[in-house]
Amino acid sequence: MNHKKLLELALRKGGDFADLYLEQSLFHEIILRDGTVNAAGTNTDGGLGIRVVKGQNTGYAYTESSLASDLEKAAKTASYIASGKVASIVPAAITTLNLPDRYPILTPWDSFSPQKKMPYLYELNDLIFGADKRVKKVTARLADSTSRIEYFNSLGIHCTDTRPLASLTVSCIMEENGRRETASASRSFKMGAEFLNTDIIRELAREAVSRTAFLFLAGQPQGGEMPVVMSAGSSGILLHEAIGHAFEADFVRKNTSIFSDKMGKRICRQGISVVDDGTIPGNRGALNVDDEGVPAQKTYMVTDGILTSFLHDRISARYFNVSPTGNGRRESFRHMPLPRMRATYMENGTDSTESLIASVKKGLYVDTFSNGQVQIGAGDFTFYVKSGFLIENGKLTQPVKDTNIIGNGPGALGMITGVGNDCLIDNGTWTCGKEQSCEVSCGMPSVLISSLTVGGRL
Amino acid sequence: MNGKKWLEQTCRYALESSLRKGAGQVRVTAVRDVSNGLTVLNDSLEKIQSAVESSLMIGFFTEGRYGSCSTNSTDPAQIDKLIDQALASVRLLATDPCRTLVPASIRYNGPPSQMAHKGEISTGEKKSLLFECAAGVLGKELSLISVTADYSDYRRRVQLMDSTGLDCTSEETWYSLSAECAVKGEGDTRPSDWEYSAGFLPSAVGLGSGIPSDYALRALHRALAKRNPGKIRSGRYHAVVENRVASTLLGPVIQAVSGSSLQQQNSFLLGKLEQTVASPVLTLIDDPHRKGYPGYRLFDPEGMATLRRTVIEQGKLNTYFLNTYYANKLKMQPTISSPSLLTMPGGKGNALSLAGSVKNGIFVTGFNGGNCNTATGDFSYGIEGFRVENGQITKPVNEMVMTGNMLDLWKKLVTTGDDALKTTAWQIPSLLFDNIEFAGL
Repeated sequence: MNHKKLLELALRKGGDFADLYLEQSLFHEIILRDGTVNAAGTNTDGGLGIRVVKGQNTGYAYTESSLASDLEKAAKTASYIASGKVASIVPAAITTLNLPDRYPILTPWDSFSPQKKMPYLYELNDLIFGADKRVKKVTARLADSTSRIEYFNSLGIHCTDTRPLASLTVSCIMEENGRRETASASRSFKMGAEFLNTDIIRELAREAVSRTAFLFLAGQPQGGEMPVVMSAGSSGILLHEAIGHAFEADFVRKNTSIFSDKMGKRICRQGISVVDDGTIPGNRGALNVDDEGVPAQKTYMVTDGILTSFLHDRISARYFNVSPTGNGRRESFRHMPLPRMRATYMENGTDSTESLIASVKKGLYVDTFSNGQVQIGAGDFTFYVKSGFLIENGKLTQPVKDTNIIGNGPGALGMITGVGNDCLIDNGTWTCGKEQSCEVSCGMPSVLISSLTVGGRL
Repeated sequence: MNGKKWLEQTCRYALESSLRKGAGQVRVTAVRDVSNGLTVLNDSLEKIQSAVESSLMIGFFTEGRYGSCSTNSTDPAQIDKLIDQALASVRLLATDPCRTLVPASIRYNGPPSQMAHKGEISTGEKKSLLFECAAGVLGKELSLISVTADYSDYRRRVQLMDSTGLDCTSEETWYSLSAECAVKGEGDTRPSDWEYSAGFLPSAVGLGSGIPSDYALRALHRALAKRNPGKIRSGRYHAVVENRVASTLLGPVIQAVSGSSLQQQNSFLLGKLEQTVASPVLTLIDDPHRKGYPGYRLFDPEGMATLRRTVIEQGKLNTYFLNTYYANKLKMQPTISSPSLLTMPGGKGNALSLAGSVKNGIFVTGFNGGNCNTATGDFSYGIEGFRVENGQITKPVNEMVMTGNMLDLWKKLVTTGDDALKTTAWQIPSLLFDNIEFAGL
């Protein structure tokens, strides 16, 4: 591939910036169902995405072909976002970035056959069936991928990145007196086949069984406004939905985020800091470099209660005249990059979980979640609670399940009245679906929010 | 090579190569998509996107075992290498006698499925459509923050073959246009809303009609109506669910009658065949042969011929959606892998007329998150919409949650409208439910 020629073609109509994103990915999966590993899949995918930026506007084309004529045609197509007759930018000489390796691959997935993977799924199946006689069905899916990225842009930046991703998800169905319940557990890391070990299998088996068994004791809570204590770990979905999306600078640039006018202002109480971090080794949201050649970093969005940074791609960074934050991400070469989160979490506070619970007379404690959503402009966010407990007079009492919680981003932030000292990153298979699919993670210490609307029975 | 010829040759090559390598039985699907997209933000072209893409999927039914592989490579050497790797993996798996190709008696044997526009639309025409659409609101409302108009189209060709003689093809085009407006609300809020249209002909989005689209204007009016919302007291209310979001409530029902949920005993409708599961008002039909609408198809991804089916008849559950695998697993007859084009006939009126009959209710115009436990049917969804009092829409509501159980919900269906949108494969009209639990203040 003649990258210089392609960049020149892409800029021929007067574009300000152009980049090339070359990807080759290999995916595998095996599935255990009804006690046997009886399905396997292999997928290869690859191509080149060519982007041209003119001001805030983007031309994008991609091709799966490696023929020079097809690559050049894609470059010309993308160039049409600009309407000039000649190029105004000449691609700079290429310099290759030196990047850290936050996801070293000890055992490449390419060399790890299904034969070596299958015993882990059988062990998982046996542990779950052995743990509880009510277990009726177990389904487990092990997926791995390795993506090799090569990137060039007209600023002269060149980099390569090899990104492994491993995910193991297990679902369990139990039956008791004709009633069935189901729950699942998952782990995901950017790492090679060393991901598979006995500890992770035991953890997942224990979680799947305990989560499913719990549901037989639980019911939907009484609905209404009440204080909510979010447990450490996967409660980070609150940050992702309630504020993270609204901090993505494409929404801010278009003035459609509820936080558009809040830069430098206090948005929650002192002592609260929220980061989006691409530097956690092996984390599902970790990156060496984002998808537009910006090295990943740890970005403080909220520092001691003050909004200090949005999450930028190159377009928004240029618009706001700040440095990009390494959040320009894309699902694949088929997609143009957008500001996206990586691992989003709140830093530790000083309260203990026990003291947060003890401070609530009547409310809810929530600890596992399945999904969430936000309306960027209105600020209303939701997250779905798979399990938790009522809090009555400072103590956890009745188990609860299957309820949606809804709040408003700025309002909920302002109502965080306690932050625990037990921050935990959740390593489940979190996937963000903003226009494209992107792997992320989230985390949080235990947090008390003085009022949210809890869905439930009357 | 044109797309049609490429599909046929690629399919045949993959099929023959797999058989040569000892695959036993094989099913091959090749897809070629040509797509375009443009976005106008306010008064400038924000994005243009264009792509030609291919995919090849091969399912192996080898020595009683099943596996699959897929690629977007068109290089025969790469395809051969992938088949070798995939077959090596398949041979390590446990046997599964329930994995079979579609029986010849129920597979599709008819002519190509065709729902495609013949001509091409120029980029200039598409741009004009979008700029005209956005111009419909620019400068006409002080509180307007932004208007985004999106256009996309694709032409998709599919070829499906298997080693027992299945050979079917389809071609479809699809054109869509949407507009979204964000407006200044109370405080820092910026409520937004959208309008959308689509169809297999360019005229579905106004191309060639010469009439400027009013989607942006309609989106603007919707966004303006959402300003300054609030919660209302928790309680039981009538719920009018607008046509464009009503399928959210049907989703868990369809999932519960799918083979995978039933076979894994993860379904609140397990064992409910031939039983009453909903109000007698509910009749749900899968009507795949209504040409011109999304969801139209003559065969499913296995090559099974589609048929018109009454899924629920006056509240009684008539059928499950079973592909070959899950039908074999459950020792039942296969039906079809999934619904194609769902309709809910027999209703009358639209969302506003349904709301007009309600004394004390909530008009749900959007769902915000939520989920349903497929094993039990317990659900909880965030909602937005409007308060309905004495048949009048009075004020916008938000930050409320609708909670219940699916079996109970559908038994509370009072009536349905006849206003289903024709732009989605699930053509569900506005619905009126009685006595639904909402949590708010």
